[in-house]
Parts: sequence; C-alpha cells; structure tokens
Amino acid sequence: MRKLLRTIFLVDLVQGLMVTFRTQNPKNIVTEQYPAQRPKIAERYRGAPRLNINPENGQTLCIACDLCALACPENLIVVGWERNPETKRKDLINFTYDTSRCMFCGLCEDACPVDALELTQDFELASYSREGAIFDRQILEEGIKPTKYKF
Amino acid sequence: MAGTFLDSTELVLNMGPQHPSTHGVLRVIVKLDGERVLGTESVIGYLHRGVEKIAENRTYTMFAPYVDRMDYVAAISNGLGYCLAVEKLLNAEATPRAQAVRVILTELNRIASHLLWLGTHALDIGAITPLFYCMREREYALNIFEKYCGARLTTHAFRIGGLQYETYEGFEKDTNDFCDMMLPKIDEYEELLTGNRIWRERMIGVGILNTEDCKAYGVTGPMLRAAGCAWDIRKALPYSGYEKYEFDIPTGQNGDTYDRYMVRMQEMRQSVRIVRQAVADIPAGPIMAKVPKVLKPPVGEAYVSIEAPKGELGYYIVSDGSTQPYRCRVRPPSFVNLQSLDKMARGSLVADLVAIIGTIDIVLGEVDR
Amino acid sequence: MVTAPWEGELPSALAAEFSDQIPAFLSYLGQNFLVAKPASVIPILQSLKDNHGFDYLVDITAVHWPKRDEQFDIIYVLYSFRRNERIRIKVLLKDGEQIATATTVHITADWLEREVYDMFGIEFDGHPNMRRILLPDEWSTFPLRKENGILNMDQKWVQENLGIESGQ
Repeated sequence: MRKLLRTIFLVDLVQGLMVTFRTQNPKNIVTEQYPAQRPKIAERYRGAPRLNINPENGQTLCIACDLCALACPENLIVVGWERNPETKRKDLINFTYDTSRCMFCGLCEDACPVDALELTQDFELASYSREGAIFDRQILEEGIKPTKYKF
Repeated sequence: MAGTFLDSTELVLNMGPQHPSTHGVLRVIVKLDGERVLGTESVIGYLHRGVEKIAENRTYTMFAPYVDRMDYVAAISNGLGYCLAVEKLLNAEATPRAQAVRVILTELNRIASHLLWLGTHALDIGAITPLFYCMREREYALNIFEKYCGARLTTHAFRIGGLQYETYEGFEKDTNDFCDMMLPKIDEYEELLTGNRIWRERMIGVGILNTEDCKAYGVTGPMLRAAGCAWDIRKALPYSGYEKYEFDIPTGQNGDTYDRYMVRMQEMRQSVRIVRQAVADIPAGPIMAKVPKVLKPPVGEAYVSIEAPKGELGYYIVSDGSTQPYRCRVRPPSFVNLQSLDKMARGSLVADLVAIIGTIDIVLGEVDR
Repeated sequence: MVTAPWEGELPSALAAEFSDQIPAFLSYLGQNFLVAKPASVIPILQSLKDNHGFDYLVDITAVHWPKRDEQFDIIYVLYSFRRNERIRIKVLLKDGEQIATATTVHITADWLEREVYDMFGIEFDGHPNMRRILLPDEWSTFPLRKENGILNMDQKWVQENLGIESGQ
C-alpha cells in the first residue's frame, strides 16, 4: 500500500529532483554566461598589450629605450625610433608587437622603466588574419576594439 | 589446437594519438589476445618542442616562462624547480617571505593538478560527475593565481631570486577561504567515488607496481608512495622552507590504481594543511633577494629537484659563465613514470589499460618537452 | 668550475674498489660527483647499487663540448633511499665512441638512454631498443649537439612528411 502511494505520488522522483534543484540555487552556479555576462578579470591580468600615453599632454610615455625588445624571449617587439635633433632625445616612430607569438609572460612590462608598456585586462585577441595579430603603435595606444555583439 | 578463423589471434591495435583517454597525444601500440594485453609500446614525441634547445638560446630570465609550458597543469611547480636550480648555481637563496609565498602557490597548484587528474581519470573510468565538480573547485585555485600574478595556467609566477609580485590585498583571506572550502569538497569526491562499487571494481588490483619495481623503473611521486614507500622530496631533501611545515606522507599498501587514488586524495588534504600553516605565518620583508639584473652564474653545474605533483622534477643546469645556460636538462617525472606502463599493463584488459594510463597522471607536454 | 675534493667513507670505498678507474671525486655547491672512465661505468653503477644502496637511477643525460677532445659528458644522477643522498657520475666520451648500456643495472635507463641517443647521437652498446624516442625515426640530425643551431631543423623531413616548405 505504502509502496503504491509512493509510486503514485512520485516520491522518489521528487526526492531526486530536490537534490537537483538544491544545486541549481543561483548562488551555487559557477558557469559564466560569456559573452552576455562579462567575466571578472583580475587587476593584474596579463592580456592585450597597451602603450600608455600621458593623460596630460596626450604624448606617448615610451622613451624608445628598447629594453622591452631586449627582454622579450620571443623577440616579437620592434621599436622604431628617430633621434630628434632639437631635444637630442629619441622619438618613438613606430612600435610593433606581434601577439601571435606572445606568451604573455610579462617580462616586457617588468623591463619597462617608465611604465609605458603594459599588459592590460583585455583578453579578446582573436582576429581573422595572422596580420591582425600584429599590433602597431595605433592599436597599442588606442587599445583593441573587438566586435561587440548584442543578445 | 586446430582452430577456425574465429579463434582469437593476436591483434595489434593503435590507441591514440587522438584518443580521449590518453590525455593528450600519446600513442600506445597494444598487442592484444582477445581483450588481454600482451604488451604495449608507447610512441611519444608528438608534442616535442625542443625546450632544452630553446634554453640554450635564451638568457636565464627569458627561459623561465618556457618551463611553465612543460607540465602546464602544474606550471608553478615547474617554475619553482627552475628558479631553485638557477638560484643554486648563483649560490643565492630566496628571501623568507618569497619562500613562504612560493610554498603556498606551489601547494595550491598541487591541489589544482590533482583535481584535474581526478576529474579526467574518473571520466576515463566512467564517472562523469566528478569532472565538473573538480573543474569548479580548480577554478578557485586558478582565480587566486590570476589575482596574484595575472595568469591562470602558464603563470610565470616566480622570478629567479624571489618573486616579481607582492601578494595582493586579500591574498591570505582568499587562500584561507579556499582551504576551508576544499576540505569538505574532498570529502564530497570521496563520497562519490571511494565506496562506489564500480569505482572499486575497476581500480582495486589493477596496474600493480610494487616498491621494488618502482625503484627499478625510477617511478616517483604518488605512484611510489602508493606502493608503500614513504618518500617525498619535500621531506627527504627539503627545499624552499618545506622543513618548517608539518605534514604527513600518505602511503598505500598494494601499489594499485586504487591506492594511487587514495594517496592523491590524502595529498590534497596535506597540501591544504601546508597552505594553512604557511598562510598563517608569512614573514614580512623583501620579496626579492639580491641578485644581479643580468644573471651570469659562475661556471659550474647543479642538479636540483623538487617534488612536483607527478613526481621528482629535476633540473640539471650547466653554466659556462655566460648569460645563457650551456645546457639545461629537465628530468620530467611523467616521462620516466610512463615507462612503467608496459610493466603494469601486461596481462590486464584493454579497459584497465585506460585506467592505468590515467593513474600515471601524465601530461604530454612534459613527456615530450 | 671551482670544485672541492669529495672526501668521506663512500669515495674511499669506491677508490679502493676501482682504483684508477675513477680519476676524481669532486664536489661543487655541496653536490658530490665522481668522474669515471667509460669502460668502468657499469661496474661502478652495479657496485653502487649492490653495496652502497644507490638503487634509484634518477637521470641520464649528456652535455656536448665540441671544442674538447672528449666531446661528450654523460651524466648519471643516482639517489639512495637508504642514505638519502644524491650523487652524480660523470663520464667523458669521445665522439663516435660507444658506452655500455645501464639497462642491465637499472631498467629505467631504457628510455633515458634512448633520449640521449635521440638528442646527441651517442650509442649505448647492448641497449635493447636503440631507436629515437622523441623525434621521428627518419630524422637526420641530433638537435642538442652544439653545431646544430636552434633554427637548424631537418628541412628535408619537414618537406617530405608535412608538405610545407619550412618548419620555421
């Protein structure tokens, strides 16, 4: 009789589903709904490189000292510079950073004496071509602009 | 015995390199008599990148990120071993604070590595649930790495002479929370697996390797401890301040797959214990020892090894006095442990072979380097 | 390398047993090693295993010194569980010269010697399976020899087997 009632009222099923629903408590959900929900990126995350510009006058902080290029294990940084005859200082002409070979070890930002080169929290580095992974000075200063999709 | 063509004959079968239970690109050529394994031969090298050659062409500092890519699930252990080896050559030692932080991160990494092993190994044997649970908990450890050094998998967390990054605000709390969370979770996995009849049937008595065989094959790590030999480099030849922490060496008796599972579960608990002790007492002070900017170790050679999650991970570095290592040999635990596969698998069933490959806990990035 | 002599009970016992076969007992940074002659390396390994408890062969590796007369150093790293001690044996070997395999003493030497052969082209006499292990069987060069630069790969093999112009 009891067994019959249990079968009719689906007690076992309810008990089983209780376990399921308990784990479905929203505070237990760990899966992130990327890209609808942006992941939390740590402050120190080493992602896409950026060349910082001085916020006061809009000029680059880079002094073209070439230390990042020397520190890079993969030799993927090329710093183009020119000696300014007036100030006798090096002026940055171009800066290429090949992210297709980069392993984001952070040695270049460690080496930078003026904190101009920085690995930022941007992580969406996919591109449609190999050339797209090579960042020039403009992309490095403005930051990468991945396509934003709506949901 | 005269037979028809239906009689079982020996069959040579390729398992891998693209097989989900070989944990990467391992190819095992198996000779079978029906379901019975007569012998195996491992074909490795699909992931060979020539790390040792790269080392000879990079400076000591530059090579540090590459070692993370060998055993990529335990990148921090790799980095620690390399840093200790170069520090030995330089005759320098990391500061007490750096050592404590190194121990914390390495032990967290050991837990993360064992979690990944448990998840994938259980998946091989047919238990799918633990994989998701293990991945979920591993995520918390990886989050700590991300907050500490900015990368999750191939961390490049340590530098030669100490640390690059100071601990972040809330590091102690995060780590303690992780420890508090981890112990009940390990119990949860054990609830799912340890007493599970299928799990026990599949594992007990499978892939036995006794202490003598372990020593003959050079097998180290949890596999050696499961055979009953309580040997752990952290205790035998302590490095990076491990002598200060109290922990036990879990051992098994039979040296079978089940014992290895139990040893790894116990090891996670011991790691939590070490992390707790280390976090409670991180000494203040500088994080970087006084090492020159350009590293030029004097002419010489040193072999330094650490207890990686998989076994003894050794670095033999020869310096010729220049900025680049003259020779950097890595003694990978997975490579040497994998050699015992043939010994363990002979006479077992094909399904057991999957369990045995899983139980060695190989990472092909390290086997092939 | 500024080495100190390695003194103690073990080196004197070995010196008594092998006399002129072990020219030097040295120590560097607290790590002890001995230099042995190629012919006697297997008896030394056997004696260390049987009489002194060095039952775990940790590693076999080699170093290439192209300018030297004996071009190769072969290094055996040994550990004793009983004594909790690690030592190294260094053997100086000429190019093309063979050395006896250690698989007769330690089974683990099998793959380690294959790797040394694969990377340096040093052949181990009596090894059961002296083939390449990490690189493909048809590969022509020995990559860790110093004359092979980092960009020097077997282009012929790459072109034939991968169908691409260059691996770089």
